[in-house]
Amino acid sequence: MPRNTDRREFLKGGLLTTAAVMAGGSSILMGSTRSVASETPDIVIAHGPNPAGNARSAVEALGGIKRFVKRGDKVLIKPNMSFASGPERAANTNPAVVREVAMMCSEAGASKISILDNCLNAPADCLRLSKIPETCKSVPNTYVDHVKAKRLFREVPVKDGLRLKTMSTLVEALEADVLIAVPIGKSHAASGVSLSMKGMMGLISDRIAFHSRYDLHEAIVDMITVLKPRLVVIDGTRILSSGGPGGPGKVIPLNLVVASTDMVAADAQMVALGTWYGKKFEPGQVRHIRLAAERELGRIDLDKLNVVNIKA
Amino acid sequence: MRFQRITQAVSLSVFVGLLYIAAHPYPEGLQSDFFLRLDPLISVVTVLTTREWYWYLAPGIIVLLVTLLFGRIFCGHICPMGSTLDVLQVPLRSGTKLSAKESSYEATAQYRGWKYIVLLFIVAAACGGISLVHLGSPLSLATRFYGLVLYPLALLAGDVVTPLVATLPSLGNLQFPQKVFATNAFVAAMFVAIAALVRFQPRFWCRNLCPAGALMGLVAAVPLVRRKVSDACNECGLCIRKCPMSAISGDPKQTVHSECIVCQRCRSLCPQSAISFIPFGHEPRKLLYKPDPTRRGILLALGSGFLTAGLMHTGINQPRQRSAERVLVDSRLIRPPGALPEPQFLTQCVRCGECMKACPTNTLQPVWLAAGLEGLFSPVMTPRLAACATNCNACGKVCPTGSIRDVSLPEKQHAKVGTAWIVQSNCLAWEQDKRCLVCDEVCPYKAVSFQPVADHRNAVPFVLENRCSGCGWCENKCPVAGASAIRINIIGEVRLASGSYIEKAQEYGLVFRSRSTVPDRLAPGMFDTPDSGAVSRPSTEHGVIPEEELPPGFTPK
Repeated sequence: MPRNTDRREFLKGGLLTTAAVMAGGSSILMGSTRSVASETPDIVIAHGPNPAGNARSAVEALGGIKRFVKRGDKVLIKPNMSFASGPERAANTNPAVVREVAMMCSEAGASKISILDNCLNAPADCLRLSKIPETCKSVPNTYVDHVKAKRLFREVPVKDGLRLKTMSTLVEALEADVLIAVPIGKSHAASGVSLSMKGMMGLISDRIAFHSRYDLHEAIVDMITVLKPRLVVIDGTRILSSGGPGGPGKVIPLNLVVASTDMVAADAQMVALGTWYGKKFEPGQVRHIRLAAERELGRIDLDKLNVVNIKA
Repeated sequence: MRFQRITQAVSLSVFVGLLYIAAHPYPEGLQSDFFLRLDPLISVVTVLTTREWYWYLAPGIIVLLVTLLFGRIFCGHICPMGSTLDVLQVPLRSGTKLSAKESSYEATAQYRGWKYIVLLFIVAAACGGISLVHLGSPLSLATRFYGLVLYPLALLAGDVVTPLVATLPSLGNLQFPQKVFATNAFVAAMFVAIAALVRFQPRFWCRNLCPAGALMGLVAAVPLVRRKVSDACNECGLCIRKCPMSAISGDPKQTVHSECIVCQRCRSLCPQSAISFIPFGHEPRKLLYKPDPTRRGILLALGSGFLTAGLMHTGINQPRQRSAERVLVDSRLIRPPGALPEPQFLTQCVRCGECMKACPTNTLQPVWLAAGLEGLFSPVMTPRLAACATNCNACGKVCPTGSIRDVSLPEKQHAKVGTAWIVQSNCLAWEQDKRCLVCDEVCPYKAVSFQPVADHRNAVPFVLENRCSGCGWCENKCPVAGASAIRINIIGEVRLASGSYIEKAQEYGLVFRSRSTVPDRLAPGMFDTPDSGAVSRPSTEHGVIPEEELPPGFTPK
């Protein structure tokens, strides 16, 4: 019995693959980048009242979690979990979004899912008030913690860094099979916005140097030449429109989740979607996003990207 | 195992456990300072120094009453100092064997009077209005040693050892916050000296030096329940050799009850089962060899105690206003929020270090001589090292004597400890015209205002004094290397012996509007130092559009 099923599944899979290849090929022949539904989008924006549902639909529309996580992989999820405040304050990632991403990784067979951030406020308070540990408790193989002890970091070269030549990076981030950024959309007093790119600073140890020794925006761009998430899921359930990164500030519910494999594109999209300090901005007005695009670390030209809006 | 070893183990564990939970967030309902309140010396000296009765002193008096009935059981069963010395004695006295003759009371009595001298010295100073209890109180010494020396060492050991033993993945990320303390080496040295003395005699401290032991010894001269030796005794001398206090005379039937800590080791060891501890045991038949201080010694102790108190009162840093219009106070002597007015504060503080152990940010430090010799080891805020957590009031909660008042969070947030002032010559904005907003960004009370001034391209900071609580976040996070460009000074500190800080703040026109509305928030929203101006951006980059029209971090199109 199982053998029959195998063959049937094999045929089915083969047919689907052929169809997909043909569809993909035809789209190339037709020169279209957006009209063909089967092509993987560059950016997915999932709208809906349920944050977890948005996260799942967005990742599925991007090709599903199995595209990123293989059985047995060690996954590192980097949320915003740095401030001692609850989800309603929008300084930390919505716990439901974090949990759903972890759950998908678990379903894909991840052997270990670490959810880590280098907290700015007192770690115990950040963990408790963000509700992320509490919410993710039931996800198998998952643990949530802060990372502060210097021994958990290692100085690594930044080969492509223009200014930043080395940085102390979380060893677990270097050793993980898959890095997934799950930031919240929020403003930031120094970097304009803090999204997936700026959020990677939660995986390094000497952040003060980023602010004092280097130009922050340039340092962020140098940093992401090393810390490149394979998947970015930006929580837009609520955004912290002003007063970031810690708040309190104006919180605007957008009820959406942005997903992409391109962190620059995802950040650019979030800038365009949000209202910041009561105004609309172009992604290029955030210097680290513009610099990253100029250095071809990702795309910022949203009008040329395949952006798919879905209802979750 | 002997009953005493069990009670000692339990007591020491509870002591360490309570000290461990003296932290933020503080578990309501538990009294982490319980052991300190048991110390009769603290009770008696505080009453003498303050001339007031406080109910928190009652446990110490109860211990004295218990001592009256049962002897010095506190020393033998509960005191963490005694238990620690008993543990250390195992390696320190290994291989030492004394004969019955060498360890009889008579043979070891030469230093016994010292503890009465110490007690009388502290009592005399207390009558003179100066508390020196921290020099002799075993609980103050032990708490200070465990909290300021062993606790940070344990955290350090955790950080160092964990990666070596972390073969279990669950242990891999175990992290320990690290703490640092001033005076820690000195506190350690004091303890090491006390411990080293057991080389001379077991429990040397308890026999010869401890003023709390002396106080209890006075009460326990003839306790109700005491050692009795029956006629079955064949005078083998085992009890004399094994008594940790050498409280047994050369005649084993004779006990010096004021030295007996009721460990009952003699009873369990006696081959004849001749020893019991019962009501109305042996009357001390005659006064044994009397080592207790001579009249001259007593007068010397009292005199030097009073004299020391006098010296404290006439030291330059003494905080009491007698005739002077103002007292000389070190401008950096920033006391924790809720600290009593300085004279009362110094009188009641027993320097146990619980507040410093509990402080989550590590800003509370034992002070050396900034508050004069009298203020040694008293807690002081050190904002450049760490700031005061806005939503923590642990120091008041753990203080055993109320020298830091146990006030609610809103009250604590109105207990102004000082005011920030800007040192313009150190300031990036003032001196170098750089765009730096850190002090404003980190201020939990919006007490720093950036305003444009002539000759400066960038706005410069001003402190709004009536909004500043002195918490020290600005001083702590100021990106200037070395001394901060914004510092906390005790200007405007509010020290109340009673009454509401909120009402007083209203009376003084202070407006502490916390940026935070989340009750549990420990710290201001951000201290990932924002745009610290240390790298000033080229002015051409912003083109003709002035920066002020764009929110922070955004650039023109």
